[in-house]
Amino acid sequence: MVGAVCLGLLTAACGSGSGSGSGSGGGTLTAYVYGDGAVKVQEAAVAEFNKTSKVKVKLVEVPGDSYQNKLNAVMGSPNAPDLLYNWGGGSIKSFVDAGELLDLTPYLTQDASFKSSFLPSVLAAGALGGKNYGIPMRGMQPVVLFYNKTLFAQNGLQAPTTWAALQTAITTLKAKNITPVALGGADAWTEQMWLEELLDRIAGPTVFQKIAAGDSSAWGDPAVLKAAQIAKQLIDDGAFGKTFTATSYTNNAAPTLLGTGKAAMQLMGTWDYSNQLANHKDFATKDEGWVNFPTVDGGTGDAADVVGNPTNYWSVNAHTKNKDAAIAFLKAMASSDYANKLVANGDVPATTSAKSLLGSSPNPAFAQFQYDMVQQAPSFQLSWDQALPATQATRMTTEIGKLFAGQVSPEQFVTDMKALK
Amino acid sequence: MVQDAREAATAPGRRSAAARVGRPSPGWAVPGVLFFAVFAVVPMVYAVYLSFCGNWGGLGTPQFSGLSNWTRLFQDSDVRQATVTTVVLTVLSWAFQTPVALLLGVWAAGRERNRAVLSAVFFIPLVLSTTAIALLFKAILDPNFGLATTIGPWIGFPDGNIIGSPNGALIAVAFVGGWQFIPFHTLIYQGGARQIPEVLYQAASIDGCGRWRQFFHITLPQLRHTITTSSVLIIVGSLTSFETVFLLTQGGPGTSSTTLSYGMYREAFQGFDFGYASALGTALVVVSTLLSLLMVKFSGFGSMRSTREGM
Amino acid sequence: MSQYVKSLRMKANPLAGLGAGVWLVIVLVPLYILVTTSLRTQDEALGGNPLSWPRTLTLSNYKLVLDSGFWGFLVNNVLVTAFTVAVVVVLCVPVAYVVVRSAGRWADFAFRIFLLGLAIPAPVTIVPLYVIIGKMGLYDSLPAIILPTAAFAMPVTLLILVGSMRDISEELYEAMALDGAGQARILMQLVVPLSRSGLSTVAVFTALNAWNGFIFPLILTQSDNERVLTTGLYTLSSQYGVNIPATLAAVVLSGIPMFVAYLLARKALISGLMGVGGK
Repeated sequence: MVGAVCLGLLTAACGSGSGSGSGSGGGTLTAYVYGDGAVKVQEAAVAEFNKTSKVKVKLVEVPGDSYQNKLNAVMGSPNAPDLLYNWGGGSIKSFVDAGELLDLTPYLTQDASFKSSFLPSVLAAGALGGKNYGIPMRGMQPVVLFYNKTLFAQNGLQAPTTWAALQTAITTLKAKNITPVALGGADAWTEQMWLEELLDRIAGPTVFQKIAAGDSSAWGDPAVLKAAQIAKQLIDDGAFGKTFTATSYTNNAAPTLLGTGKAAMQLMGTWDYSNQLANHKDFATKDEGWVNFPTVDGGTGDAADVVGNPTNYWSVNAHTKNKDAAIAFLKAMASSDYANKLVANGDVPATTSAKSLLGSSPNPAFAQFQYDMVQQAPSFQLSWDQALPATQATRMTTEIGKLFAGQVSPEQFVTDMKALK
Repeated sequence: MVQDAREAATAPGRRSAAARVGRPSPGWAVPGVLFFAVFAVVPMVYAVYLSFCGNWGGLGTPQFSGLSNWTRLFQDSDVRQATVTTVVLTVLSWAFQTPVALLLGVWAAGRERNRAVLSAVFFIPLVLSTTAIALLFKAILDPNFGLATTIGPWIGFPDGNIIGSPNGALIAVAFVGGWQFIPFHTLIYQGGARQIPEVLYQAASIDGCGRWRQFFHITLPQLRHTITTSSVLIIVGSLTSFETVFLLTQGGPGTSSTTLSYGMYREAFQGFDFGYASALGTALVVVSTLLSLLMVKFSGFGSMRSTREGM
Repeated sequence: MSQYVKSLRMKANPLAGLGAGVWLVIVLVPLYILVTTSLRTQDEALGGNPLSWPRTLTLSNYKLVLDSGFWGFLVNNVLVTAFTVAVVVVLCVPVAYVVVRSAGRWADFAFRIFLLGLAIPAPVTIVPLYVIIGKMGLYDSLPAIILPTAAFAMPVTLLILVGSMRDISEELYEAMALDGAGQARILMQLVVPLSRSGLSTVAVFTALNAWNGFIFPLILTQSDNERVLTTGLYTLSSQYGVNIPATLAAVVLSGIPMFVAYLLARKALISGLMGVGGK
């Protein structure tokens, strides 16, 4: 679960204190939320909501990376929450299939201003089969190519905005004994980011859209093979150094390589910027640069496309007894007051109102870059392992790990992926 | 092994003797039996049932799907690879732990003062949990910041990438397991060696047998049962080893160190396919049971004590 | 033991001594790294040679761990271990007694089921246990750890207890019966005291397993309040990430209680563990 792991990193100490789910009876709405540092924004929103509402929202904060486990265990049981934090896509697919989630499309169509408060690409990423099940409620987390401006300048390199620039950087840095790209390959989802970007730049978002819609044969598209071959070439060229298979992102090893100048680039979600600020402040404030993923020669994908985690969503339990109150709570997510709180927390909200608020962000330049990047993106592809159901996603990341470890050839990789169920 | 123990436990002589004193009511055993049934037997039976159910992640009710998980299991190349990995890891663990623990145990059985002191030091890894030991070695073997960067080149890993290379990862898991469990097996052998009647050695000495011949002709044969005990413990333990893989290598690089039990964990708690995970688990039980039985049969070990090893 | 002929076994054995010395190094080097690194600053640990003596010694890593909920993990661990041992002993003593003294078909059958349990490795049942514990409403509580841990300790416990109870001679039972003692009194005053060594082996072995258990707490609990030492250690180490000194300080702290127990009760621990291999 990329999102869970990444969010966990943002804060060293997880929030504590999860109450027991008290069910949906009476005048309360139980809301399950991932209990990391950003949860204080939700706490404030709940307090605000409870001031005026008769039906009170009770926040259950689940810390650690077992959020999805706990949600799976509790959904469908009598203790199921009324509101549930999620990542959209595959993280809620089994609930949608089991009819556990409320279709929010009518509420969005009825209230045009509610719908138009959110960036369309982000709202769409929370939909399944054309129906909306999630309302964006946290910051956006697109994937960005971070690089060390100082190291690049010292070696006469251009920012890696084109494939040629990236290649030159890799060759030059390698010769200087600097790992060109930090990759936490012990966590296969970091390797997945490279394939996501490569596939998009080679053929645009449609190939994976077919896969996410349940067509495994789309893995057989020549673009997938090409993406795997380019990745393999990067590995063989030493772009990721020699120890990436045992380097982890989740234990902060890969970010440390970037932050201490041992590596010069890292492809990672925007959350890593706050991570660098916390652990390598000098690097983050003076040396760190960021660009969207470069174009690939001969590729037909739009260079403005974005991949990553659009945001987190609130979904509503279809069996809730307080549907109206739940919808009212969701509408509070569209308010500029809520967006303001997110911005103050260093997040970039997926609301249209956010643009004017970003000046008050702790990192205005980076926030602005993120916002523009997502707003201009023709497509915002949800991370593959979030877009697919958990079973398939786990097997997919296993295959990606095998490709990067050199256990399978790109051709074998494609064959294995086509067989994925 | 079950059969032997049962016969031993209810030997005819005892039965008639017990009859004279009176027997405890079998009802006394009910709480213990029920408890064991609920938390061990029912889960095992339920695992077998789930292995015949389709992709089910805990939501709603599992749907019967016949043999689909099982046919998939036999075609799954990842399962084949995990089986090979598991067997290799088991063999490596046995081949590392048994000789070391046997020699150390026999040596420590002597009653010199320095041996006692050293034995006390050898015991220290036993106070650490598997989790603690795995985390310690993860730090030591970290390819970027650990000792691996220094010692890697000495042992054939010039980049220090021990746990990041397919063979290195497996060897590391086996080594860490040995570092943790050799003290325990040393104790078992030490206990076994002290049971060997002194008179055997005295007789051999008088006959002019040297140390080597004594070791091979007295110590080893006398320790046969202890070797079986310790070996079955090592083998069953390695077959189902999960924590070290989970904490040290996460089954990587790629799937190079993914054992069956770690693969099962991933299918169950990352993939939420409880059905397929249960099929994997059931297969693992069958394999480990057969192997233990085979070992016991093969070594011709059939006393009451043999039943102690399967745990 | 014979006093008059000194066998070769009693004489010094230089080759074996050398082997033991090699093993000593293998045991001590990681322990040395463990302790010294836990006393280093993070910056030094990231750059320096882990075999060197720390330039500056600091206890700040220990303080960090102790401030991160360590005491809660310890208390939970003690509770889990104590209750597991209690459940196992209380439930298994009567079963073992019935198995040894009652020849009925049911006792026989029950014993057979327990023996089959020896072949079930605990990790394999984790999926159904997760479902069952969830259905019982015990998910994320200490009993969720205690109950399965106890159940999986029962087969070995029974074997050891049955083994040591069988050694009690028939005459003693008859003497008790002549005194007019009932079965309960025989159990408490004869069988239990005479199976002391078996009981202590069982207690040591069960306690060690419960103390060090990882997969049950990992899967069956999730919140901070229910963490035991192993899962707490795991969580802390993921939080600390590349702060290796902090992780290793947590490792050292997690080992201290058992180390103290070892110092205080070395004989009991060792003979307990040896007992597992058969006397």
